[in-house]
Amino acid sequence: MSLMKLGLVRGLIGEVVGALAGVFVVMLIRAATGYESAYSAEPCWVIGLLSGSIGFLIGVGALTDWSKWWVGQETPMHHGPPVGQPAWTRYFGVDYNHKVIGIQYGVTGFIMLMIGGGFALLFRTELARSGLQFLQPATYNTVMSMHGWAALFSILIGVGGMANYIVPLMLGAEDMAFPRLNAFAYWINVPAIISLLASTYYGWDGGWTVYPPLSLRGGAGYQFVFIAIFLLGFSSILGSLNIIATIIRMRPPGMSLFRMPIFCWAVMATSFLQLTATQFIAQAFLMLSVSRALGMGFFDPAKGGDPILFQHLFWFYSHPAVYVFVLPGLGIISEILPVFCRKPLFGYRWVALSSVGIALVGFIVWGHHMFTSGYAPYLRVWFMISTLLVAVPTGVKFFSWLGTMWGGKLTFPTPMLFVLGAISVFLLGGLSGPVLATVASDQPLQDSYFVLGHFHATIFGGFVFPFFAAIYYWYPKITGRMYNETMGKIHFWIMTPAFWVMSLGQMTAGTMGMRRRIADYEQGLAGFVNPHLGTIEVIHMAITLSAFVIAFGILLMIYNLFHSAEMGKVAGSNPWRSRSPEWQIPSPIPEHSYARPITVVGEPYDYGLPGSYVTMAGAAAGDD
Amino acid sequence: MPKSSTHPRHFIIVGVLVAIVTLVLYVVLERALPMPAQASLEALTIDWLFGLHMLVLSFLFALVVVFMVYSIVVFRRREGDDTDGEHIEGSTSIEIAWTVIPLILVVIFAFIGFKTLNDITRQDPNSVVIKAHAQQWQWQFEYEGGVISDTLVVPLQHRVHIELDSKDVIHSFFVSEFRVKQDAVPGMVTHVDFTPIMSTEEYLAIADRKGEEMKVRCAELCGLSHWSMMAPVRVVPENEFTAWLHREMVKVNPALTKADLSKTSN
Ligand SMILES: [Cu+2]
Ligand SMILES: [Cu+2]
Repeated sequence: MSLMKLGLVRGLIGEVVGALAGVFVVMLIRAATGYESAYSAEPCWVIGLLSGSIGFLIGVGALTDWSKWWVGQETPMHHGPPVGQPAWTRYFGVDYNHKVIGIQYGVTGFIMLMIGGGFALLFRTELARSGLQFLQPATYNTVMSMHGWAALFSILIGVGGMANYIVPLMLGAEDMAFPRLNAFAYWINVPAIISLLASTYYGWDGGWTVYPPLSLRGGAGYQFVFIAIFLLGFSSILGSLNIIATIIRMRPPGMSLFRMPIFCWAVMATSFLQLTATQFIAQAFLMLSVSRALGMGFFDPAKGGDPILFQHLFWFYSHPAVYVFVLPGLGIISEILPVFCRKPLFGYRWVALSSVGIALVGFIVWGHHMFTSGYAPYLRVWFMISTLLVAVPTGVKFFSWLGTMWGGKLTFPTPMLFVLGAISVFLLGGLSGPVLATVASDQPLQDSYFVLGHFHATIFGGFVFPFFAAIYYWYPKITGRMYNETMGKIHFWIMTPAFWVMSLGQMTAGTMGMRRRIADYEQGLAGFVNPHLGTIEVIHMAITLSAFVIAFGILLMIYNLFHSAEMGKVAGSNPWRSRSPEWQIPSPIPEHSYARPITVVGEPYDYGLPGSYVTMAGAAAGDD
Repeated sequence: MPKSSTHPRHFIIVGVLVAIVTLVLYVVLERALPMPAQASLEALTIDWLFGLHMLVLSFLFALVVVFMVYSIVVFRRREGDDTDGEHIEGSTSIEIAWTVIPLILVVIFAFIGFKTLNDITRQDPNSVVIKAHAQQWQWQFEYEGGVISDTLVVPLQHRVHIELDSKDVIHSFFVSEFRVKQDAVPGMVTHVDFTPIMSTEEYLAIADRKGEEMKVRCAELCGLSHWSMMAPVRVVPENEFTAWLHREMVKVNPALTKADLSKTSN
């Protein structure tokens, strides 16, 4: 089989051709208009990356059907792997099946998780000891900044994976509402990732927040990052649109909104956030990009601009974005918990509406990232109160999980362990929030390692742990085989304590006065020694070691997943005795998930009652 | 163990455990999350608020974790039991309770947060005013009479008002011992207030200081040498501060007389 048959390979060739064409055009224009040198990295690559991305999308085939429509050609939906090619090849090209796209998203998210984690390990090694060892400050700044965006890519793409794979299955739907748009929204992530990774060549030093004026100076790497996030945002908006349309339009008969599986509620709240907030970061980054490229002065006080304006735009997206990261994960917790407690989800409606509540409050709290920024002081009071309010709907979720567990019959296979781990870690993240919400106590902790500890606990508890729980939980559904339970448990038991050490270590360093994003720190930080834990160097060493232990746990998981796909014991259709519709069909799921349409006749989590959630129609109908 | 999950005995046991775990956690957190020396009045207010947060945090953490671990131990499935748990779908009154109680807590904390914010941002017309100029990657402090210093010298037990500006990118004025932090933004002037209550001499006398003085550290990523953007802080008794300032003023302008000096400074 020729490599050219793989969409990904064609896409990469398209990327290179497109990029070179873009660079060439810019050089031509520059030469014609009398610049001294035709080549200049920044203008050439801004255009080059954009044309390269279009080249990728053409090459991979994400635009093929739409362009055929343009000239009036029919494009019948093709099902199954490409004709005459092995089944695995469909994962490397444009495929419209949501299960394939879900896996593509999920695997891409996982790869980005490892890349983001890899950057973290690099600078954690440097920070294990005081003094500059192998990363010089310029490299450190790039690596640290890359960790941020690579990890956020991983989360957004990983969330896309869970939503794409699971939501249509839970609705008993054949596919997403717009399969072609779905494929497009996935594939646009790839040029985004290429742009992001390529930025390391020129370097950039602004951290993931890229505040101007710093981001208006510095390397051309910034432009790569702006374009990467612009493309990723495109994917977010299109993907969320698709999800909302799917959830609203494609529910089976009998599934009223309050009879949906709870994960669909979480994803719907998330999608509304993504659909309405992403534009703001796109706008903010576009403004940065044109400021650099065309000398516009939105954020430059020398040209009448305002640096703080950027922070407002940035956080107006980036705070809700944190809920985009965690709401689906919290939905996974609420989804899996009842199965392993054999009990209904406690207060279903309250849990469902708390997701909506968190999403809504999320829009009015962005200023808590800017308490020390110098904006109008009275605003701080308002943002303090609105931020504290987030505790209320979040509390409802925690208490409802406790209510679900209480009086159940709990079992503890790996997915359940990760769910419980997620609750404990997210609890740490959530409870360290109010300290940062009241302005006075935020003052010494803002931009310190305490914020890092808080943020990583929130993200691990709200995304990483639930993501792993979801992978283990739906693995038998996806592959038809069981993962290795012992190895899964070992993964959990080494990763969870390590994470606790890392997160608490970060918080300790933060209260001791350790600033974030510094390439080096003074041994013992101005002689300040924690009388119980020792110097700050001891704490840094602990953080670094636990980071490596976490990485080892994740490698173990990857081995488990690959190994069990071949060697695992056959899982059967419903190993967890779940009531959810996707467990009532064979594993692995056939090309057309549901041979017969489903009808909802009960509540999603009525464990302890006879009867079922869905029934399937008697006769085959509606295929193709 | 009682069979029904709503038997009071469960809740009595959990209640006692929550109380114990709260106390243990609070003691542990206090040791695990220490703050640097309290060198300003603001540090007292902020550390008090921080401690209050830790107390509530300990309680809420204990509450959730004890209920969770108790369920894991007591309500785990026994060998060979394939039946489902009790069918409880929820309870509106409980949901309302755990919505309203946190809401009350939020109101209380909002009030305390407001009070403490007022406290630490208190303005005093008699403050010593110091201009702090930030630039990549150094600090410079400007006093009355055009005195420029690389060290931040401040008087003990006297309110200090810092006016911050920046020549290039955003920096942040952070002295962990004072618990103050404020960004310095190009194109505008921001300010921050504090009252030092510990002299450098006292500070260095604490056994674990290793002879290192307090420092202003830049807390907002500002490029290549952000990590090393620091300036020493010296807190001296008020008369020493005045004497130092006068000496420096005369250096800037040798024509100043004793009479001029007593007029200009506080
Ligand atoms: Cu936020
Ligand atoms: Cu700085």
